[in-house]
Amino acid sequence: MTTVNPAPPPRRRARVPLAPYLFILPYLLIFATFWAWPIVSSFLMSFKDSRLGAAAGYGVSNWQRLLTDEFFRTALKNTVIILVIQVPLMLTLATTLAVALNSRLLRARGLFRFAFFAPLVVGTVAYSAVFRLLFNGEFGIVNRALAGLGLPEVDWLNQPAPAMAVIILAMTWRWTGYNAIILLAGLQGIPEDVYEAAAIDGATPWQQFWKMTLPLLRPTLLFCVVLSVIGTLQLFTEPALITNSGPGNATMTLGTYLYQQGFRSFNFGYASAIAYAVAALAAVFSFAQLRLFGRDS
Amino acid sequence: MKKLALLTALALAGTTSAQSLSGTVTIWSWDAAAKALQSTVPSFNKKYPNVKVNVVDLGNQNVYDRGLAGCAAGGVDMPDVYSIENNEAEVFWARFPDCFTDLNTLGANKYAKSFPAFKWTELTVGNKRYAMPWDSGPVVIFYRRDLYQQAGINAASIKTWDDFLAAGKKLNTKFGGKVKMGAIGNGQDDEWFRMLANQNNCFYFDNNATQITIAKSGCVQALDTVKKLLSNDVVMTTDWGGQITAFKANRLASAMFGAWYEGTIRTNAADQKGKWGVYPMPASRPGGVRASNLGGSALAIPSSSKNQAAAYAFLENALATTNGQVTMLKSQGLVPSLLTASKDAYVNQKQPYWGNQTVWKTILDTLGDVPAARGTQYFQDARQVMIVVQADYVKGKYKTAQDALNDAAKKISAATGLPIAK
Repeated sequence: MTTVNPAPPPRRRARVPLAPYLFILPYLLIFATFWAWPIVSSFLMSFKDSRLGAAAGYGVSNWQRLLTDEFFRTALKNTVIILVIQVPLMLTLATTLAVALNSRLLRARGLFRFAFFAPLVVGTVAYSAVFRLLFNGEFGIVNRALAGLGLPEVDWLNQPAPAMAVIILAMTWRWTGYNAIILLAGLQGIPEDVYEAAAIDGATPWQQFWKMTLPLLRPTLLFCVVLSVIGTLQLFTEPALITNSGPGNATMTLGTYLYQQGFRSFNFGYASAIAYAVAALAAVFSFAQLRLFGRDS
Repeated sequence: MKKLALLTALALAGTTSAQSLSGTVTIWSWDAAAKALQSTVPSFNKKYPNVKVNVVDLGNQNVYDRGLAGCAAGGVDMPDVYSIENNEAEVFWARFPDCFTDLNTLGANKYAKSFPAFKWTELTVGNKRYAMPWDSGPVVIFYRRDLYQQAGINAASIKTWDDFLAAGKKLNTKFGGKVKMGAIGNGQDDEWFRMLANQNNCFYFDNNATQITIAKSGCVQALDTVKKLLSNDVVMTTDWGGQITAFKANRLASAMFGAWYEGTIRTNAADQKGKWGVYPMPASRPGGVRASNLGGSALAIPSSSKNQAAAYAFLENALATTNGQVTMLKSQGLVPSLLTASKDAYVNQKQPYWGNQTVWKTILDTLGDVPAARGTQYFQDARQVMIVVQADYVKGKYKTAQDALNDAAKKISAATGLPIAK
């Protein structure tokens, strides 16, 4: 008779240590309940007609509506208009500001950095109210100033194009400083000796900016672009508080349309579909930007 | 003697049941409405001394949002009495049919005839009554006696919208276009359209909430009038805040709104005391209806309330008694929807701010003429469409009002799935 080989001793390495997982378990539970589950739940909800009550089954009616919904298209169009005008405008300004703040010629740099960052500290509701007042057609200081200069007054908040301009101005005022500070950090990461070498080779400051500063700043700029695009796709506060999406739907964005459907019409299913469409757009935009501008050459 | 004994017994029985109600009733409401409810607490506590009433002023938006969150979570963290605007009420009953108590189970059926029918339409589903009517918004024109007089306009002779338009032209000539006959939130809201459509017995939806009726003739006429007023430049385009600024600056000779706007004018322009008056809204044709409703609220009792009997007693005292409703009218200018309130002595008193006119009588007398209209659970969808269509029509995007409203009907149908009425 042959003897049966005894079972091999258990390998110590294969044993999963339990303790660390126990320690992070509370976090995982909270994460799953308040973060992961709502994401899944809202995806499921996007297939439900929530207006018919709990009895309704699943279907694609919300997604069908999204494809043919004129309001969704208006919201998307407005969001893209803001994206195409405001983001480049703001980042150009922010880069200019960052270069200026980085200049050794500038005195009291700390003060300036604070001044340009300050708009971000102001509460959104407060600053929106101030913009409403500034651009009030009858009594606002902007129209008073225009009249003082002999220019025609503009009915800012009751006309589509001017209302859009107010939104873009307000966002630019609030976010330029924030981006400038990030870009400034990027600028300070560029070693001084690169510039010294360029200066010895006879490069003008203008050439230095275009041929060295901008290319070396590209990763930081890309970071700012991606963040701004995602932020703009979610834009809510300014159009909600300054123009109330109006006049008509002239400044309605994806964010305000989602809110309107979810929390005014209580149509959670359709609002979820909009939210997923926005998330998908943000993913596509970010991916495209990373592919187009993120290469290491 | 027998009668007296019976009365005493009845009175005693009444007191015991009143005494037996106890605990706290928490009420969520907003701004002036909360203050108005607070003003009824003393009369309530006279009847029910053991019930503590706690009126919480959350602000309009917060009441709506927290109610939504509470109902969505299955009725947690809700008050005992919940304030709700009529227009927005149906969305709650439709999405959360179990969140509120059917007031008929507490005996509200007996008040069916105490309020005008149009106030109940949005508060009842089938044979359930989800809320009790509170204030209403009978539409009237508030006007500046002095400015009308300077322009040679006689308010009493304005009977139709054509008269109103003609008066506006007179006003433009007199003040060189600086003073207007009204303010329309074109592009921001469609309130004027709704007030005029309601007057013409037309609205977004029919009263069964099964069809879209916005392309019917009454609505077409309403939209046409709105455009006529705007394109003849007799009204200005401005939002809520702009309108207040304008009447304070003597740039508006009149304003049309639900009668709750009385308090807004009186408190914002205290220095114009005696200069204002009120007349019924013009009709769309000679001899037509001169009444309509804009806004107004109701009180509901969440199913999760532990103290429903006391909450209902509060509703009865504040809303279903003349004394309760008139107390709120006096304190905050909330317009009663209880029909008997119009017979109260206060309603027939002259109001000094309004040039000693008996404004409340003028206003409440229109209540019985208001055609019923339903916000339905799709109110906000329809409103969003109509704001845009109205602005586009005024701008000239559509050839006729009928074209515009056909398009609006199509869009509302796409958003709600309801069919368009033939």
